[in-house]
Amino acid sequence: MKLKLKASALALAAALAAPQAQAWSLEEAAKPYAGTVVDVVFLDRPGYNAIKEMLPEFEAATGIKLNITTMPYENALGEQVRDFVAGGDLDLALIDLVWIGNFAENGWIVPIEEFTSNPDLADPELDIDDFFPLVLNAFGAWNGVVYGLPFDNYSGLLFYNRCMLEEAGFDRPPETWAELKDVYGPALTKNGKYAFALQSKRNETQSADSFARMLWPFGGSFLNAEFRSNLNSPESQAGLQFRQDLMAYMPPGIVAYDHAETVNALAQGDVAMITEWSAFYTTLVSPETSKVADCIEVAPEPKGPAGRKPALGGFSLAVASQADDAEKAAGWLFIQWATSKANAETYLRKGGVPARQSVYQIPGIAEEFKFVPALVESWKEGVPEFRPRFAEWPTISEIVQEWGTKMMLGEVSIEEGAREIGTRMEAVLEEAGYYSGEKPLAQ
Amino acid sequence: MTARVPRRTILAFLGPSVLALLAVGIVPLGYALWKSLHDFNLTRIARQRFVGLDNYVTVLADPVFWAAVGRTAALFVIAVPIQIALGLMIALLLHRPGLGFLKTFTRLSLVLPMATTYAVVGLLAQVTLNQKYGVFNQMLGWLGIAPINFIGDPRNAFIGVIFWDVWQWTPFVALVLLAGLSTVPPEIEEAARLETKRWWTVLRHVQLPFLIPSLVAVLILRTADTLKLFDMVFTMTRGGPGNATEFIAILIERVGNRQFDIGLASAQSVILLAITIVLARLYIRMFYREVR
Repeated sequence: MKLKLKASALALAAALAAPQAQAWSLEEAAKPYAGTVVDVVFLDRPGYNAIKEMLPEFEAATGIKLNITTMPYENALGEQVRDFVAGGDLDLALIDLVWIGNFAENGWIVPIEEFTSNPDLADPELDIDDFFPLVLNAFGAWNGVVYGLPFDNYSGLLFYNRCMLEEAGFDRPPETWAELKDVYGPALTKNGKYAFALQSKRNETQSADSFARMLWPFGGSFLNAEFRSNLNSPESQAGLQFRQDLMAYMPPGIVAYDHAETVNALAQGDVAMITEWSAFYTTLVSPETSKVADCIEVAPEPKGPAGRKPALGGFSLAVASQADDAEKAAGWLFIQWATSKANAETYLRKGGVPARQSVYQIPGIAEEFKFVPALVESWKEGVPEFRPRFAEWPTISEIVQEWGTKMMLGEVSIEEGAREIGTRMEAVLEEAGYYSGEKPLAQ
Repeated sequence: MTARVPRRTILAFLGPSVLALLAVGIVPLGYALWKSLHDFNLTRIARQRFVGLDNYVTVLADPVFWAAVGRTAALFVIAVPIQIALGLMIALLLHRPGLGFLKTFTRLSLVLPMATTYAVVGLLAQVTLNQKYGVFNQMLGWLGIAPINFIGDPRNAFIGVIFWDVWQWTPFVALVLLAGLSTVPPEIEEAARLETKRWWTVLRHVQLPFLIPSLVAVLILRTADTLKLFDMVFTMTRGGPGNATEFIAILIERVGNRQFDIGLASAQSVILLAITIVLARLYIRMFYREVR
């Protein structure tokens, strides 16, 4: 991975060293592609709206037009997979970190080297090392090759209601999961209010936000080094048992809580703490959408026996293989511009969360955006395979969603549920060819 | 008397409809049949291969599939009799003479639930049944009853689906049965009313025989609707919690669109089609004989 990153950087350096008639500029680079239309899928989330606001500047400078289709997260994978299989119109791929293996293995996306090695298209200021290495690796790279640049970036954070905590006699958020459950849980669960809410609805929320969140900090994981299920290991079991025990301090019916319900519960003052994506910061601190806006504070997710290992999620943008040459070049110029160092501060101020290290070093940014220190800390301690990123994840995620929910509802024991998921997960991996050596053990 | 219509004219009139039917019905069905014989997953398209009846064997041996079929059957067995009972009551009330304006108004308002898009009904259910902010729990609160966890509890979520299905489709049953009641010759009905004062006797011996065709239509349409039921449940519970509301169509969508296993989903759909055809034949055999 590092080698490839260095190769990209070297290619870029070589491109820079080559004698050029004039300095590189976006306007010049885009001239041959004026009028090109680039088709892309966006989500209706703050980061995408931020880029949409900034877009007129890009379109005016380049003459390249973006044709954006906005859709809910739940549809984005299916729409893109069908488009790529059918040889459709999409010129860029929007890639959730768990889709990268799928997109790369099927050859639907182009490695960025194709563009960074082309001096006409590569911005000398690209500075790929400025991206948080964990984020670039997890969101944009697969099997050591970089395909996409991190665009809409999240980390799990602990959002808490300072006023409720102070009222209960706490002057700081919990440092560990055990402390959250054993000390904060009983003190904050009373009078119809609850200490914590863990979004656990049966979709990707159950597998990513609920199930995986409790595995890693306790030393558990989905797979061991041989790609066999690790869910019945003492560490994984401890994490899953912890989730079960923590439900005593969560609102009833937590298996029906998606992000909206969870964020709303904190925003309405009904729960004291939630662990949610950084992207919900704006919703929680805006008086228009939060009753307790003034009380909201942000901290990194609590630590478990194995460390912090917070939830990691986010999207990169990559050029689609099915695009023609002009669309590929135009699409790359857009990706490069949208994720550039120069635009990172504007993107942040408009509601996006850039993955550029430099922007968080600008004086005053950490004070203005309260989530920044926690976010930066999380991006130093996360695990890229928080959810395995191979092509089989969507199938395995469905299995985890079904049995994870059954565990929470008490329909099966933690052990039985983990064994069921393990058996089914291994069957999927077997069929995919991981055990016969047909596929490398990459996740 | 009847002039012979040239063959070409017949073809010209029928041809477009037959072609349209072929394009939107038969071709996709044939394609699904073909794909159901393949290991065809969109995320590993390069490994596509012919597997014969493997997908069918997998589906028929899959307890998750049969659990979804069982759940769908349970929904049908519970919801449809409620809809028929309530629908018949409404139809009988509207069939009685008098109260002209009120009846017209009721008839019009009966169309509203049917005209509401399934997905919107699901969203409506999600909002109204919300444990904290939903209108149902608000009303229960006035009666001093603690909020009920409608969507997050497996049994309540299933009851919730039944409730909203009844809400949406009882009016349809009522209108169909009302139309059926109007086919009873008034003189026979009046004569019967002179004979007896008991409404049940009139219903059983005079009205019900005329209602059989309507009931068969209701049964066939509601069976097809229940087997296809997707949008409302998808927006309301997405098949959860756990798989408490994972009906057959929700399962097929999950396998096809979320696991991208088109081969397996096609096999499930073909089996569902077989179930539908068997049921339709059964209804016709059971009920139409009586009508004849």
